Amino acid sequence: MAELPVHTAGLRKVYGSHTALEGLDLEVRPGEVVGLLGANGAGKTTTVKILLGLVAATAGEASLFGRRVTDPQARRQVGYLPEHFRFPDWLTGAELLDYHGRLAGVPTAERRRRIPEVLERVGLAGRGNQRLRGYSKGMTQRVGLAQAVFAHPRLVLLDEPTSALDPIGRREVRDLIRDLREEGVAVLLNSHLLGEVELVCDRVAIVDHGRVVRAGRLDAMVGAGTQIRVGLDRVDERALALLGGFGEVVAVDATTVVLAAEGPDPAAAIAADLVRAGYGLQALIPVHRSLEDIFVGLVSESSG
Amino acid sequence: MSALTITRLSVKEAVSRRLLLAGALLSLAFLVLFALGFNALYSRAASEAGQTETAQVGGIMTMLGVYIVQFLVAFLALFLATGAVSSEIDSGTLHAILARPLSRRSWLGQRWLAFAGTIAVYAMLMAGLLLGIAQVIAGYGAVAPWRAMGLLVLEGMVLLSLGFLGSTLWSTLANGAVVFSLFGMAWLAGIIEFAGEMVGNDLMRNIGIAVSLLVPSDALWRGAAYYLQSPAFLAASSAVGDAGGAGPFGGSAPPSAALIGWSIAYVVLLLAMAARRFGRRDL
Repeated sequence: MAELPVHTAGLRKVYGSHTALEGLDLEVRPGEVVGLLGANGAGKTTTVKILLGLVAATAGEASLFGRRVTDPQARRQVGYLPEHFRFPDWLTGAELLDYHGRLAGVPTAERRRRIPEVLERVGLAGRGNQRLRGYSKGMTQRVGLAQAVFAHPRLVLLDEPTSALDPIGRREVRDLIRDLREEGVAVLLNSHLLGEVELVCDRVAIVDHGRVVRAGRLDAMVGAGTQIRVGLDRVDERALALLGGFGEVVAVDATTVVLAAEGPDPAAAIAADLVRAGYGLQALIPVHRSLEDIFVGLVSESSG
Repeated sequence: MSALTITRLSVKEAVSRRLLLAGALLSLAFLVLFALGFNALYSRAASEAGQTETAQVGGIMTMLGVYIVQFLVAFLALFLATGAVSSEIDSGTLHAILARPLSRRSWLGQRWLAFAGTIAVYAMLMAGLLLGIAQVIAGYGAVAPWRAMGLLVLEGMVLLSLGFLGSTLWSTLANGAVVFSLFGMAWLAGIIEFAGEMVGNDLMRNIGIAVSLLVPSDALWRGAAYYLQSPAFLAASSAVGDAGGAGPFGGSAPPSAALIGWSIAYVVLLLAMAARRFGRRDL
């Protein structure tokens, strides 16, 4: 387990009288895209800053690739895009990449080769000789992404990477993240754009009040507790009893039953049984709980 | 990691700041003005006064010129130092850089080195050009110009390190206020010490010495000023009287080894404190 890109255990951070992290446990495995979700102030950015040695943890363990985060060498294979990426604005885009490549120990010839390649990958082809002062917000975020992936990192930490991008830019970033995953790069994505996270992450960790309140594979989390809305010509005791066999009845009215189904998708079996029993089946709609439902449920639960 | 990346970037930063370009142009303008004024005054003195008086004029003018250079060097050091760390934190440029496999100590040290180099080059260039002008116009030769320049550079390092430490503790604005006040206080204390020497007042002398320990910038300048006098000027000064020959802004004695030793220790100590403070700070 020593080679995990990210590992934290019982991470705690206290700022004066404010506790930002309260025993946070997190793992990111190689080639895995993990979304860190949470409301503002939940502790996402603090977690990332501790991982990068920018903020010292009050207690607990944190390591990157098995090295403690207090060792600068732990960041040797890490790329980072801060939420508000700033840079010396008198540099050109290419100079910025060269400079970050140098800091990451990329040899000169390799830097020269890679600069146009990475600029193109983030959609800034031909803009490398322009000073960053003249970049738009979206271009700034793109060049920030470029420096994060420049030195062939094995872990990329992205803090709100798409906040300044338009829908096309967002899609490009998602594609970039998928490419990284295919190359075996681990990605920790900090975002409050839940739809975004749903589209790209393998696993999510929902953080609330400085603690991970739920973590797991996204498909399992979203799939779990699938509800089925059944529309019938009439709803009676017999119909309810029949449907009760497939799961818990959540809501009932004159023509609709909402069922919290258990087990693998039972829609076909439900349809067959209802028709065989002589009911007029009008609708059979699986209602997936979105990540947002889960998130809002969890976060409001614990703050209530 | 290739060595001194931060140093290179910081030098580039210092050079590419527009204010510094303006500073360089103003420095050049100052040198031209100095040369013109010196020339006018000196040729008039040469035609109207005796040899000793003419040499005095040359000496006083040179001293005045280097005195202003000293201020320019000090201001450059304070200007570069006040935001050296704090402005990088405030602007947020530091986060992405320190996320690289780079220790904070190394970042701080490299940045200091870049600014120290910039200041040293500036001090040597300005003092060298000024002395060159005095040499050409008045045939003025200082007792020990290299030692004087060395002390001027050391003064720059002292102020730079002071500003660096402040920059890890306070905001750029607050730090600017603190270090400029300390620099001013050292300057004032130098004059008080001089006056104390003149009237033989121990309290005033001790105030000067105590402040020199806290901020040795003015004491270093007085050492540099001593070495900048011409042999003839030095002889003329000692004819006037023992202390105070060089006036309230000059130096009447070579700098003590203790002063130089303390100044070097001061730079190292303040940098170590800055590294310690910066190393622990949450960003």
